[in-house]
Amino acid sequence: MAAAAEAVSAATQAVAPAAAGTTTDAVTAASQVAHTGLALAFDKLEYSVMVPLVYLSLAFLLVALVVRIVKILNSPPPPYQLALYPARKRPWMAALGESLGMPQILKRSPALWVALLVFHLGFLLLILGHLDILGSINLVPPASRDMLGAGGVGLMVTLSAFYFMGRRFKGSYRQISIPSDYLLLLLLLFTFLLGDLISWGNSWTASGFVMTKQDFAKYFDGLAAFTFADPRAILHGSHYHMVVLHVVLAELIFLVLPFSKIMHAFLALPINAVRRRVWTHS
Amino acid sequence: MAEYTTLKTLDYKGLKCPMPIVKISQELPKIAVGEVVEVLTTDPGSLSDFPAWAKTTGNAILETKQESGLIKIYVKRQK
Amino acid sequence: MDTQLSRDLKRLFETRLNSAMKMYLETCTRCGNCLDSCHVGASIPEIKYTAVGRAEVIRKVFRRYFKMQGSFAPWLGEVLEFDDGTLERIYEAAYSCTGCRRCMVHCPFGIDTQQLMSIAKALLIGADKEPKLLSMLSDMSIAKGEGIEETKASYAEAITNLEADVLALWPTAAEAEGAFSRPMPLEAKGADLLYVGLAGAHSIVPAAAIMNAAKERWSLSFFEAVNFGAFVGDSRKMKAIAQRIIDEAIGLGVKEVAIVECGTAFRVMRHFMGKQPFKVIAFVELIDRYLSQGRITLDKSKITEKVTYHDPCQIARNGGVIEEPRRVLRALTEYFVELRPTKEENWCCGGGGGLVAMGEMEFRMKSSKVKAEQMRASKAAIITTACENCHSQLSDLNEHYALGMKVEFLSHLVAKALVRPGQSYRL
Repeated sequence: MAAAAEAVSAATQAVAPAAAGTTTDAVTAASQVAHTGLALAFDKLEYSVMVPLVYLSLAFLLVALVVRIVKILNSPPPPYQLALYPARKRPWMAALGESLGMPQILKRSPALWVALLVFHLGFLLLILGHLDILGSINLVPPASRDMLGAGGVGLMVTLSAFYFMGRRFKGSYRQISIPSDYLLLLLLLFTFLLGDLISWGNSWTASGFVMTKQDFAKYFDGLAAFTFADPRAILHGSHYHMVVLHVVLAELIFLVLPFSKIMHAFLALPINAVRRRVWTHS
Repeated sequence: MAEYTTLKTLDYKGLKCPMPIVKISQELPKIAVGEVVEVLTTDPGSLSDFPAWAKTTGNAILETKQESGLIKIYVKRQK
Repeated sequence: MDTQLSRDLKRLFETRLNSAMKMYLETCTRCGNCLDSCHVGASIPEIKYTAVGRAEVIRKVFRRYFKMQGSFAPWLGEVLEFDDGTLERIYEAAYSCTGCRRCMVHCPFGIDTQQLMSIAKALLIGADKEPKLLSMLSDMSIAKGEGIEETKASYAEAITNLEADVLALWPTAAEAEGAFSRPMPLEAKGADLLYVGLAGAHSIVPAAAIMNAAKERWSLSFFEAVNFGAFVGDSRKMKAIAQRIIDEAIGLGVKEVAIVECGTAFRVMRHFMGKQPFKVIAFVELIDRYLSQGRITLDKSKITEKVTYHDPCQIARNGGVIEEPRRVLRALTEYFVELRPTKEENWCCGGGGGLVAMGEMEFRMKSSKVKAEQMRASKAAIITTACENCHSQLSDLNEHYALGMKVEFLSHLVAKALVRPGQSYRL
């Protein structure tokens, strides 16, 4: 494994194709041929996805999220109390508990509640797992070839997303679903599946993926340091296009998120507080 | 008080809120403009509800009479 | 649809977009947890009669006019434009919803369908398609406030004619002399409490007897508590109607306003009208207080059959008065049983939101099948409630589904069980 990685990095530094002998080298060699025309344009497109668009989409996400949330919460308050009774002793704590624990779902459809819990926990771990790739964050030992959860986290979100999708095709659930519900789930599912492929390839095969977690760490560290280096120099092999696709889909999620129903993640607490806050003077 | 004859008597005794007004609103369009009906009710609120309703809908209350436990209201369709 | 109306309706929609409303419009994930929350949907299984079905009608209009996707990808959210078909769907959503907010109990976010339907109702008013009867009743209430001086004398006479009925339930007025020596004091200066009834002596006489038994220094309002402005979703009229009573209460300088057994009237007064120099209470809260203070005593031997209680939505889950009626019932009888489900989970009677006033008999009966089944399953002989609207609807259900129950106002049972001085009774 270490030898293979060494060979890869050696090949990267060499301008001339390294001596053929291993598959890895052959793949690397192929990608080192200078591109022209359409292939060059495609390289540039892939570079845009992998570096500048990552920054742009993340910046857009943050700004749009803040603007939208501030705009919603800064709208005039409801003219009168909209609380539901019996009143809770600590309204904000109750709202927090309901936002995180979804007791209404647990009571009425326990199977959905389990799926939701798996999905949302998985999603949080997913964010953590991606941050963990950064050289400076080490939840999992950096030498390990596994991401956080060793593929299990991806399984959590993928399986639950499949469950949500299947559910949307059944009877009444189908009738209340709108096209954007399916599309958003589809977008998430494709992103998850590609992620699974990358992370499983890494952790579950004997030789590992062509790209190792350490390679991804270099890419992430490059992004964090704003080096604007082409990740193609680090991430070798034709699987690179899958990584690019994974990143494109993630960027798409960042772009649509502030305008989608994923906003429920940020509004769950204030909206639940409206239901719990009793402020009528009487 | 002007002379008038009542076309019919509507018995709204003991009705719950807001049925006396709902019923008269449904009944009045069934008679001709200019005709008068007598309404029997036990609802003390009718004494202010009917005049307010008449004002709102452009009809007229010609007279109200009270006996123990019974109120009679004479309503003329004007529109 | 002509574009001017379309623009006007959009502007009208915009005026309703407060922070809570925006969250109600943005947050739904269509999880479906509310699919069987609504009594209408549970009785008539159609999506348009579910909470999410109703809310989506409004959201589809929202997405069309207030979201970017409404312009460049309208198919994403199946948007609806203002046209006759849409207005019909809006009407059907708004006036098949009783505003009971049972779905809000089940929503993981607490989305308030009644609030979303208030947008629907406002749009219908803007398009001149609201139920005209409800508008007329609202206008009548407002006109009554303006012309009250002219009819005060004849109202006072009618009240005097009812005094014997009050005295039959309780033999004395609250005090022997002065302003409170009449069984039903009107414009009584120095009163601690203003009682607001409804159209109909049944909403005044038993309450008067109870307050007299408790020696309350009370005064009877000239107005009816019900608020048709709230039913038709016209907030301006709603406020004008409530303001008549607020002015009257301030004029008399009372400390409290007790609202007759009427859910909407109570919730509007207690929760929608802002801070007032008096407290607003439901009449059942007053009875509970009298009992706990020992100001009235009830004879438990009067009721020997199983009694259940229907929580009026606007008084219980939306108003906060849940335990008081139960304490009153336990003081009244040993045969009290709960409906199942009960309290905040209780099924709406199916008559709220103006439906009883509008007639709608066929729809009310069909849409409340689950309610009738719940009543029957209680095996109670008497169902009590603390809301006029519920009482009317429960009576209609009782007859339509041949349930063979007695439908009673809680206050009526209390008035009939008042223990008179020197009378023997069972506690």
